[in-house]
Amino acid sequence: MIYDICIIGSGAGGSPIAYELSNAGFNVVVLEKGKYYKEEDFSKDELAVSRRDKFTPDLKDEKHIINEISEDGSVKRYDGYEYSWNFWNGSMVGGSSNLMSGYFHRLKPNDFKLKSVYGEIDGANVEDWPIDYDDLEPFYEKVERVVGVSGKIKKHKFLEPRSTKEFPYVKLEENGVTNWFDKACDSLGYESFATPRAVLPNDTLNRKGCSYSNFCGSFGCATGAKGSARAALLQKCDAKIITEAFVYRLDSDKTKVTKAYYYDKNKKSHTIEAKIFVLAAQAIESSRLLLNSANKHFPNGLANSNKQVGKNLIFSAGGSGEGRFDFNDLDKKQQVELMQRGLFFNRSLQNDYEFEIEGKKYKGGTTDFLFEHQNLIPRVSREFYNNSGDIIWGDQLKDKIHKAITSTRKLTFEVFNDWLPTDKCFVSIDKEKDMYGVNVGAINLHGHPHDLKVGEHLAQKAVKILEEMGAHDINYSISSSPPPNLVAGGCRFGDDPKTCVLDKNCKTHELNNLYVTDASFMPTGGSVPYTWTIYANSFRVAEIIKKELS
Amino acid sequence: MFSRRKFLKAGCLGSIIFISNGCSVFSATTPKETLSLLQEDLFPHSKSMGIDTQKYMQIILKHTRVSDEDKKFIKNGIKWLNEEAVLLYDQTYVKLSPAKRQEVLKTISKTNWGAGFIRDNLIYIMEASFSDPVYGVSDGQGWEWLDFKTGLPQPKEAYV
Repeated sequence: MIYDICIIGSGAGGSPIAYELSNAGFNVVVLEKGKYYKEEDFSKDELAVSRRDKFTPDLKDEKHIINEISEDGSVKRYDGYEYSWNFWNGSMVGGSSNLMSGYFHRLKPNDFKLKSVYGEIDGANVEDWPIDYDDLEPFYEKVERVVGVSGKIKKHKFLEPRSTKEFPYVKLEENGVTNWFDKACDSLGYESFATPRAVLPNDTLNRKGCSYSNFCGSFGCATGAKGSARAALLQKCDAKIITEAFVYRLDSDKTKVTKAYYYDKNKKSHTIEAKIFVLAAQAIESSRLLLNSANKHFPNGLANSNKQVGKNLIFSAGGSGEGRFDFNDLDKKQQVELMQRGLFFNRSLQNDYEFEIEGKKYKGGTTDFLFEHQNLIPRVSREFYNNSGDIIWGDQLKDKIHKAITSTRKLTFEVFNDWLPTDKCFVSIDKEKDMYGVNVGAINLHGHPHDLKVGEHLAQKAVKILEEMGAHDINYSISSSPPPNLVAGGCRFGDDPKTCVLDKNCKTHELNNLYVTDASFMPTGGSVPYTWTIYANSFRVAEIIKKELS
Repeated sequence: MFSRRKFLKAGCLGSIIFISNGCSVFSATTPKETLSLLQEDLFPHSKSMGIDTQKYMQIILKHTRVSDEDKKFIKNGIKWLNEEAVLLYDQTYVKLSPAKRQEVLKTISKTNWGAGFIRDNLIYIMEASFSDPVYGVSDGQGWEWLDFKTGLPQPKEAYV
């Protein structure tokens, strides 16, 4: 049988294609390496989900090699299994969108033309996108309606242009401490706003509303309120989904992909034929598959005659910080507010999405504020050390844990700024093999020093808010450590076939039936989490494929 | 950090381990009794709440998602703890008075492997203490102690 479309990967990059094309009557098959978990399979079991990594592959079986590249060019090699360095984000139907927190921000118009607006930066490969914000806006709006984004529009200096006045779903219920935060921002002259979330507050779209379970990020959503690709799209279409199907090779002739080869859970090989292939296995794995699929027509890997596949890998730069609120400083009402369970904090700051220092304009970013994750093990583990940094135990530890958990609470922040693309940050193939006997992906890591300067600037603004609110023990860390769940690039799109893997429609320049629709296409990442943009772009490409097949 | 993890081996918890005083075999003990007493010394409150940390350690040692290196470190750490006890007091850990056991813990906490071993054990104790009742280790006493409300729904079966 020849399918109209074969999609590799069922996350935010692949599912909009499956949803749109199967609902338009096309014959769609989705190959997903993980299992099919539904609402009834999800629980808030911290041990299973967060301690034993239930939803990602065992690193013993499938790992990455990480080559850390320093400024002087020296390389330190890490075996992902040996160092427990995990770049998997959720191998399951719907991918990591099942486990996201759903902090949704659009890119800003200037994010599409970073090079033109802010200029070149030494050592970085910054390029403008081949499309602009107006091309993507209708699809951002579509994601709001179809996937479900809740929020409340508040005008601020960097609010992006919108075709609708308001979000289609009202904002989630908020913890009372947001009032302290807003007051602090007002007194500092900062414009904060309620973070848009891909979480439905009420029953709609044939999904249940949020249960305010107090555990959202990292956990699958048992109500379907979270806008995962599975709950919002795959369960709303009849695309055929083949689970536990690890695609290890794509075959091609000179101009088109002919077959996808996959192993089932028993390591038995199968093939799928289709008119159009869509690759959306997350940025690292998509590049790995193309590189591992070299053949006589494409000896460097599929669509890689220009040797650009895997190049310009990016993450979200920035870091995180926190401050602690203590009952000793609060009245009874404030203590109750601080400990309110389930309600969201949901505050963001984009005051410095662009900023100036000594007359020079810099691209800044976003800071999201949220309470420390409710998982208990990391919270109590952070109390294992005294002020001198020595480990403690016994009654001393017992008292410290009890005080920290029952009479204090931490407000944390996460800084998102551009991770500049460079020649030193890319995906390649290592000689090591996984349990299928397939060469593993090598992640070559390098952070541009400029990223740290911007992150530092944003973190200092966040610290001022925490200070104004009266928090103690304020600290933060801005580093070049890559967040594995915020990865993009590797198959950047652009008009020039010599420098780009994909054209502006996310079709490879070299193979006329192969699209890549996860975050691989992004030449730059903007200064926000990527998921909303991945969804929107995939809906955009779905329209293009629909026209092509029609 | 824990370089000794890589090249020393020990048997399973039920088997005898032989403790050296530096030049010859000094004594023998079972890892199980050392581990049980060690975890009680590190966080007695778990036992007082009725948490079955030893049952949890059996889950950990059989768990497919706990690495072989981590399992080996538990067993090696028990052996090294006893060696330190012999070095300081000429007795295995379980035969020492509570005060002397605390001195042994203070001594090993100054070393890289010792601080790591104490930390790992505290983590396992906390995992046991705050585990869902479906694991059969705690009935929620740990949550109650910290006035913690777990997220819903709770798991229907343990992930082991």
